[in-house]
Amino acid sequence: MDLNYSPEDLAFRDQTRRWFAANTPAHEPRTLDERRAWHRRMYDAGYVGMGWPKEYGGQSATPMQQAIVADEMAHAGAPPTINGLGIGIVGPTIIVHGAEAQKQRYLRKILMADELWCQLYSEPNAGSDLASLKTRAEDAGDHFVVNGQKIWTSGGVIADWGLLLARTDSKVAKHKGISCFLLSMRQPGVEVRPLRQITGSSQFSEVFMTGARAEKADLIGRLGQGWEIAQTTLSYERGGNSLARVTRYASAFYQLVRATKELRRQGRPLVEDPVVRMKIGRIWTELEVQRYAALRVLSALTKGESPGAASSITKLSYSEFEKRYHEIAQEILGPWGQVTVAGPDEFSEVETSSGEPGTWAQAFLWSRAGTIYAGSSEVQKNVIGERVLGLPKEARADRAKV
Amino acid sequence: MDFSFTSDQQLLRNSARAFLDERCKPALARALWDDPRGESEAMWKDMAQLGWLGLALPEAFGGADLGMVETALLLEEMGRAAYPGPYFSTVLAATAIVELGSEAQKRRWLAAIAAGAARGTVALLDGAMDWTPAAVATKAERTAAGWSLTGTKPFVPWAHVADVLAVPARSSEGLSLFLVEPSTPGLTLSPVTGMDLSMRWTNVTLDGVTVPDDAVLGAPGQALPLVEGLLRIGAVGAAAEMLGAARRCLDMAVAYAKVREQFGQPIGSFQAIRHKCAEMLLEVENSHAATYYAAWALDAEAADAEMAASIAKAYVGDAARRVCGEAIQVHGGIGFTWEYDLHLYFKRAKALEVMYGDADWHRELIARRVTA
Ligand SMILES: Cc1cc2nc3c(=O)[nH]c(=O)nc-3n(C[C@H](O)[C@H](O)[C@H](O)COP(=O)(O)OP(=O)(O)OC[C@H]3O[C@@H](n4cnc5c(N)ncnc54)[C@H](O)[C@@H]3O)c2cc1C
Repeated sequence: MDLNYSPEDLAFRDQTRRWFAANTPAHEPRTLDERRAWHRRMYDAGYVGMGWPKEYGGQSATPMQQAIVADEMAHAGAPPTINGLGIGIVGPTIIVHGAEAQKQRYLRKILMADELWCQLYSEPNAGSDLASLKTRAEDAGDHFVVNGQKIWTSGGVIADWGLLLARTDSKVAKHKGISCFLLSMRQPGVEVRPLRQITGSSQFSEVFMTGARAEKADLIGRLGQGWEIAQTTLSYERGGNSLARVTRYASAFYQLVRATKELRRQGRPLVEDPVVRMKIGRIWTELEVQRYAALRVLSALTKGESPGAASSITKLSYSEFEKRYHEIAQEILGPWGQVTVAGPDEFSEVETSSGEPGTWAQAFLWSRAGTIYAGSSEVQKNVIGERVLGLPKEARADRAKV
Repeated sequence: MDFSFTSDQQLLRNSARAFLDERCKPALARALWDDPRGESEAMWKDMAQLGWLGLALPEAFGGADLGMVETALLLEEMGRAAYPGPYFSTVLAATAIVELGSEAQKRRWLAAIAAGAARGTVALLDGAMDWTPAAVATKAERTAAGWSLTGTKPFVPWAHVADVLAVPARSSEGLSLFLVEPSTPGLTLSPVTGMDLSMRWTNVTLDGVTVPDDAVLGAPGQALPLVEGLLRIGAVGAAAEMLGAARRCLDMAVAYAKVREQFGQPIGSFQAIRHKCAEMLLEVENSHAATYYAAWALDAEAADAEMAASIAKAYVGDAARRVCGEAIQVHGGIGFTWEYDLHLYFKRAKALEVMYGDADWHRELIARRVTA
C-alpha cells in the first residue's frame, strides 16, 4: 500500500495544473462555437482523448494520467470538453468493435469535436429493460431503413451522429436480435424534439426516425451483435472520472462552508450551530470516503485490473451520495437553496453534476438524475446482488419466453 | 498510487485468518463469557509466537517494526472473529511507551509485551465521559515520592488483566501520561458488564494513587500530542475491527439468503433482500477504503492523517452498525437468538462504535477542521 503519487505523476500534475491555470477561460463559454473553441484548445494541448490509443489521435495515457487531467480540470473550474458521449462511449466502441474504414472515417472527427454525437439507446418502452427495444432497422439492399422512436437522448439537438441500437431480427431472443449502427442525425428521416427537464433546461430530447437511412458501412460489428457491444461500451464510462467528480463536490462544499459563515439563525452564524456542524461533518466524511474509494479504483485500473460488475458499486455509491449531499446542502441553505438565478453574492453559483455551473437549486435538481441514467440504482443493486454477491436471480415474467 | 496490499501484508492476513478460524471459533468466545479474565492465555502465547504482539514494536525489543496498516489487517481479522482479549489495548499501551518512554521504561515493558509476558491498556476516557484529551480532569500532584493521581477513568478496555495502565492526568505543567501498575494502593478496578461479553471494560478509580517520578512518560506536561495520537490510532484500529465484524455479518447474510427458502424460492431472489445485501456490500467496501486510507495516512504521516482517522471512525462506526443490524434482519428470527453467532459481531461493532470518540464526536472534529 502506498497512496503517494509517483514523481512522474506529480510532475504530470504540475504541468497540467500550470496549463489549466494559464488557459482556463475567464468566462464560461456559452455558445456552441465558444465551447468548440475551448475544446480545440484543449485538444491542441493534448488533453482530449487521454485514454484513446495514440494511433487514433489520443494520448495512450495511463489511468492515473487520465484521472489527473480530469481532476485538474475540476480543480481549475475549467469548462468541460464537448462531445462527451462521442469521446467517452462512441469512440471507444468504434476502436474496439469497428472496422478499419470506420475508424478512419469517424475517430479523429469525434476527438476534434468536428462531429458531435449522441446515444440512441432508450425508448419510451425500453428503459432499464433496454433489450426490449422496438426501433427496427431493415435491410433494403444497399442500406438499412430505420423506423422507431428514441427518448431521453442527451445532446440530441446538437448531434450530427448517433450511436443507435435497433432490432434487426425479431424472431430470435430479444438480446440476440439487436444490432449497433452509426446513424446520421442530419437527414430528413430523423426528427429531434427537445424535452424540458426538471431543471428547466433541455439537454435531452426525443428522436423520431421515419424511414431514416443507415449505411451498410455504418453497421458496427456483426448483425445481432449490438447487445454485446452495448454491454462492453457501457462500462467505458466509469473509473477515470471519479476523482474529478469528488474534486467538484469539494469545491462546491467549500462554498457551502463559506455560506454557513454568512447566513445566520437564532442570532448566530450557522457555522456555530452544532446541528449544522454535524451536517457539515457528515458531508465531508462521505465526500472523502468517495475520494478514497476513487483512489482504490484508480489503483486497480493502474494495475490493469478491470473492475467488472464491481463498477456498479462505484456508480451506486456516488450517485446516491450526491443526492444526500444536495439534500443536506439544501437544509443548510434554507431559502437560499431555492434560488435559480445566481445573484452577485459569491456562494450561490456552483458546479452541477451535468458539468455546467448553476445555482445550488439547479445542482440539487441535477442530483436526481444520476440514480436514473446509466443504470438506475435499483438495476445496479440487482447487478451487485447477482453478479458480485452471487445471489439467486429473481423470477422474471420475460425469462420464460427467452 | 497503490491501494492494494503487498504480498507480505496479504500473507499476514491469510495467516491471521487461518489462525483465528482454527483457534478463535465462536465456541471459544462463548466459553470465555463466564471466565473472570475473559481471554485465553494459550491463545495469547500463540499470538506472541506469531509475532503479533510485537508487530509494531521496534526490532530491538523483539518487534517487527511494522505499521498501522498491518495492525489494522490483524484487527480486521479479529473483528471478523469477534476475538476476545486485550490485543488492541496492549498495542495502544505499547505505542505510548515506544513514543515517549525512556530507555528504562522501554526495557521494562516492550520486550515483555512482545513476548506475551505482559499486557497493557490506556485509560483514554475521563470521568465525565469525554474523549477530548484537552478536557482530562484527572489530577496529578507532585509529592515527595513522585506524583499522586486522583480521578476516574471509566470504560478502560481490559484493565482487569493489564500489567500496566497508561493513565493521562493533568498537573500544572499540563497533560502527562503515567504508567501505573494495578497493584498500586489507591487504585480500584470495578468491572463493567456490557452487551458484548467478549469486550471487557473496567471502571478505574484513582484515589491518591502514588507513583514514582519515573512513572511519567516523557517530560511532565508534554503528553497532549501523544494522547491525541493514541486516540487516532484507537479510532482507526476500532474502524478496522468494526470493518471485520461488518464483513463477517455480510458474508453470513449472503450465505443465508442463498439457502433459506420461503414462498418456494431462496429469499435472496427477493429484491428487498438482494438490494439490502448490495447496500451492505457498498458500505463494507467504502469502510475498507476509509479504514486503510486512514491506516496508511497514519503510517505515512500524511498531511490529512488526523482528518482521515476521524473520517474512518465516523464512517465505519455508522456503516458497521447498519450492516450488522441488517444482517439480523436478513436472517429473521434465527438472527435474534442467543445460539446463533450473528450477535457476537453485531455487539462487537456496537461496542466499538462508542469507543475512541463516537461518530458525532469525530464529526465535530471534522467540522472544526473544514470550517477553520
Ligand atoms: C438526464 C438523463 C439523461 C439521459 N441520457 C440518455 C441518453 O443520452 N441516451 C439514452 O439512450 N438514454 C438516456 N437516458 C435514459 C436512461 O438511460 C433511462 O432513463 C434509464 O435507463 C431508465 O429507464 P426508464 O427511464 O425507462 O425507467 P424505467 O426502466 O421504467 O424505470 C422506472 C423505475 O423502475 C425501476 N426498475 C426498472 N426495472 C427494474 C428492475 N428490474 N428491478 C427493480 N426496479 C426496476 C427503475 O429503477 C426506476 O426506479 C437519460 C436519462 C436521464 C435522466
